[in-house]
Amino acid sequence: MKGTRSFLLFFLPFIIFTYIAFIVFQQACDYAMNVQAKKLLPFNHQTHTTQYGADCELCHSYDANGRFNGIPTVAVCKQCHDPNKVNNATFFAGFSDTDKPWETFAQQPDLVYFSHMAVTKNEQKVQCISCHGDKGASKTTAKIKGKMAMGVCMDCHTVTNVSNSCTVCHD
Amino acid sequence: MAKMTRRWGMVIDLDKCTGCGACNIACSQENNLPIFKDDSDVPKRVTFLDLVEVTNDKDPKAQYPDVKVAYLPKMCQQCSGNDPNHPQPPCVSVCPVVATDVGEDGVVSQIWSRCIGCRYCQVACPYEARVFHWWKPRYEGTFKKSLNPDVSVASRGTMVKCTFCSHIWKRERDRAIANGVTDINAVTYTPACASACPTNAIIFGDLNDPSSPVYEAAVQKNPRAVRLVHSIDELRTKDPSEYEKRLKIKDYPNPKVYYLTSQQWLRDKISGFKNS
Ligand code: SF4
Ligand code: SF4
Repeated sequence: MKGTRSFLLFFLPFIIFTYIAFIVFQQACDYAMNVQAKKLLPFNHQTHTTQYGADCELCHSYDANGRFNGIPTVAVCKQCHDPNKVNNATFFAGFSDTDKPWETFAQQPDLVYFSHMAVTKNEQKVQCISCHGDKGASKTTAKIKGKMAMGVCMDCHTVTNVSNSCTVCHD
Repeated sequence: MAKMTRRWGMVIDLDKCTGCGACNIACSQENNLPIFKDDSDVPKRVTFLDLVEVTNDKDPKAQYPDVKVAYLPKMCQQCSGNDPNHPQPPCVSVCPVVATDVGEDGVVSQIWSRCIGCRYCQVACPYEARVFHWWKPRYEGTFKKSLNPDVSVASRGTMVKCTFCSHIWKRERDRAIANGVTDINAVTYTPACASACPTNAIIFGDLNDPSSPVYEAAVQKNPRAVRLVHSIDELRTKDPSEYEKRLKIKDYPNPKVYYLTSQQWLRDKISGFKNS
């Protein structure tokens, strides 16, 4: 009995150290991957999509070239949420478009030439969820972890019979 | 998706070219090419479009009033090889990692992120159109802020070259799709050098399109047309059987860039054809 206890006591520092190190590393990774948005506006994707019938494009609209689906500004929120209502006014007072920006999540590296509209509109087979995960069911703005590797794009190009040559997406 | 029928090509009228160098600057700016302290170091500088000075002053027959100078904008000639079903430019056939390839529109691509830096292609290219990034690209002062967001900056140790501004084509393609156009052949564009040329000496277009000023069948018949170091072209009319025979025994680069000039000395210099 005594042997077991001293055995545990001997390993306790190691266990605690490993546990703390794990937490620290996880935080560091999240920080490095910009998992948390800088603008900490508490936004619940799930209620918007299920209760209010919003689809992704209601807030994430394309730019003129159809390349990007932007991250909405606070002004976009105010189109639906009357900013003059008492409750809303106090809420929106804490956030403005000029304070910390949203991070663009799931950003592609510089050398990828990607157009959202070319992918979603041209073939009509791809939906937001195909690449971004089930963001609509998430309750936060945090990024869904995981990498968007080139293999994912290539698999899809193969299935939908789109050319897989490098120059389709790269320069 | 409709099949690509475009085959991009270029016609450069050397009699119109004044040698101003606007194309060179427009190209470097468009493609985020770095600026180094000594850009006169020709083998090591990074530029897609070289303005080559051609002169006949070494010609023993050229005496004082007859000495002539011409300027030759020389970029990647977008070779297509002599087999239309299997386009194989000299550079593409040697690349061990398919970092360079011929696209459906005939443009020879260069994917720097795939390149391993072996420089085989630089040796294979008959036009010295390829440049190697010996150093990390550097930009002076605030130049970095004005970089073109459509073009990624290549890393050190990779090969780059002119791709007929294929990023502009991609941009136009995406814009067309955003406007509901799905026909890939409806997308047209102009590379930076052609739009910068003040005398319209550089004309860019579709070699397969009969209504285009660069329609290949028409350009080939043009007596002013000549291709860079492509002496076999002279045989096409002079000796068709010999022409056919030679095409079969050897891979000719068969570039998609044509030069126009009515000056005979310049034609001789460019084509490399010897009347003997
Ligand atoms: S230098 Fe790069 S592009 Fe050229 S042959 Fe080697 S790997 Fe291919
Ligand atoms: S000019 Fe050189 S780099 Fe361009 S396609 Fe021909 S061989 Fe390749």
